[in-house]
Amino acid sequence: MVGNRDHRPSLPLFSGGRSSSSTSLASPTSWASTTSVSASGKRIQREMTEFNLDPPSDCSAGPKGDNLYHWFATIFGPPGTPYEGGIFFLDIIFPSDYPFNPPKVVFKTRIYHCNVDSTGNVSLDILKDNWSPALTIAKVLIAVKSIFTNPNPYDPNAPGVAHLYLADRAKHDEIAAEWTLRFAK
Amino acid sequence: MFLFLHRHFFSLLRIPSQFFPTFTSLTFSTTLSMADYQMLDDVDADDIPHAFLCCVCLDLLHKPIVLSCGHVSCFWCVHKSMNGFRESHCPICRRPYYHFPTICEMLHQLIMKIYPAAYKKRESQILEEERKIGLFSPQFDSLTCGSQADIKVEHLEESANGQLNTITKNDKVVAELILEENSEVVRSTSVESLNSLQDPCAQKPQNQEKISVADVLCRVCTQLLFRPVVLNCGHAFCESCINSQVETLECEVCQFLQPKGFPNVCLELDQFLKEQFPEEYSLRRDSVQLELELAKSIKHDNPTSCSNEEGKKGTDLPRWGEVASKVHCAVGCDSCGMYPIIGDRYKCKDCLEEVGFDLCGDCYNTRSKRPGRFNQQHRPEHKFQLVRPQMFRNMRLGVVTEMLEEGSTTFIIANDEGSDSSDDIGAILEFSSDARESDEDDSDVDGRTQTNDNRTDQNYSQPT
Repeated sequence: MVGNRDHRPSLPLFSGGRSSSSTSLASPTSWASTTSVSASGKRIQREMTEFNLDPPSDCSAGPKGDNLYHWFATIFGPPGTPYEGGIFFLDIIFPSDYPFNPPKVVFKTRIYHCNVDSTGNVSLDILKDNWSPALTIAKVLIAVKSIFTNPNPYDPNAPGVAHLYLADRAKHDEIAAEWTLRFAK
Repeated sequence: MFLFLHRHFFSLLRIPSQFFPTFTSLTFSTTLSMADYQMLDDVDADDIPHAFLCCVCLDLLHKPIVLSCGHVSCFWCVHKSMNGFRESHCPICRRPYYHFPTICEMLHQLIMKIYPAAYKKRESQILEEERKIGLFSPQFDSLTCGSQADIKVEHLEESANGQLNTITKNDKVVAELILEENSEVVRSTSVESLNSLQDPCAQKPQNQEKISVADVLCRVCTQLLFRPVVLNCGHAFCESCINSQVETLECEVCQFLQPKGFPNVCLELDQFLKEQFPEEYSLRRDSVQLELELAKSIKHDNPTSCSNEEGKKGTDLPRWGEVASKVHCAVGCDSCGMYPIIGDRYKCKDCLEEVGFDLCGDCYNTRSKRPGRFNQQHRPEHKFQLVRPQMFRNMRLGVVTEMLEEGSTTFIIANDEGSDSSDDIGAILEFSSDARESDEDDSDVDGRTQTNDNRTDQNYSQPT
């Protein structure tokens, strides 16, 4: 099963705003869809109000500056994990055809975790093939929070960390706690 | 293999887009102000109950579509979340489906009656967006509701659409001008109606009184809908009024065949009916249970559950196998809604709309007379032609277009089929001449069964 989203004639991140280019891409086929930027902006606005009304625990998120499509989020390391006490910053970038394509979530704080690579990219199925337009940023943050407690070493972004996690859990936790102390406090 | 390459291409092409922060912020900052503006007048969004909120746009449902799993979404939200290359999945329960259902007119009328002002506002906003993309959702003639101001707005909108429809064929530009004028009138009147609605007298109770059991009747038993099920054709029935034992489910109203599977109960609507008409609902429940006990033969296998397991059970479309050459990517059947069309595709030669009018093999053979999904002016006397799948060509075109855009050229493909631009692209990438030949020209309905396979193979190998 290969990612279905990637095979649509989707637009690159920055070109959705120009109606001429989107129609030019859509026209070779009769039913291909286009998403107007105002619709995605409206949806992000709604998500923002909903998020502020009922934010998930230990999370915060909001637009960075006046750019609605670029959010900044924080997650507190859950207690009982080596990430306890750390504050992790994330960048969230919405595509112009959001919610029909997933947002891009990147860790800005360094973290020793098998599902986060050195540049901060997260391997999470709902941010790739299993994305659904009914998902919201609140749900995405809850999913990101869940990989703190339940790392998935079988779909790693950092294979070395995943290997250590499986081979020597205590050592892995020790390094992770040390990284949390160094980078996330 | 091509799949992988394709992904690779896209990932390669997407990288440079990260390096244009100035450009993105420029476009987005303008849109932010636009969204701000739109949010200002969305005061009543919080008052809408969960049942009538679209899970995709988080707004009031507009032209609601009920998927076979029973989940409801707006017309455009369903269309945009569908996948043009393989089966689509419900945004909520991920149950796979192939057919783009028709708008549930009953639900459409119901929401319009309860929230006339909010619905009108949505309507005019969406009409504006539709005008931008040049694609229109189906219009309903029998729009009946509400105050005089609403009727006025409706009337104007109808006339706008009517004028558009009649003129589209002759002169598109003129039609667009007229629509623009009229929609401005519509907007101004809708503002007026909004102002008039802001009277001290409470609006909500009035709205609630507007709907009656007559608005939510089953078309078979002509009683209140109990555990409503909406078929692919958009007609709603009680679950108990539909014979689930038959192999091919047929709509009692329009005789349209339901594509495989028994649809689930629309629980949101069911819950709404239960709260809205508690007495009638309990009466109906008792009578249906009595009937069931009497019949005792029919046993539903819990059709309301929509677990993730069910979603995963759906068979994947074997695109790259033997049916690969039969899939018409991003082309949908305007009759049954199959998207993408698998198998034969018949394209109308006489419809002038850019979106075109297509039928799948089954609908062509049954001489379906249903109107187009995007308000196309299709007529029964129009002629069809058989079109070969263009999958590889389309993919290549998509990649090429992106490449051209990345290179910031002003090259725009206006229209793919039969236009010169596709030739230009072929020339740019130095594709062999037969690879870029228009697939459409070499096949007619009555015509030659040309072996397209070797050509497809050539196309296949070109981008590598």
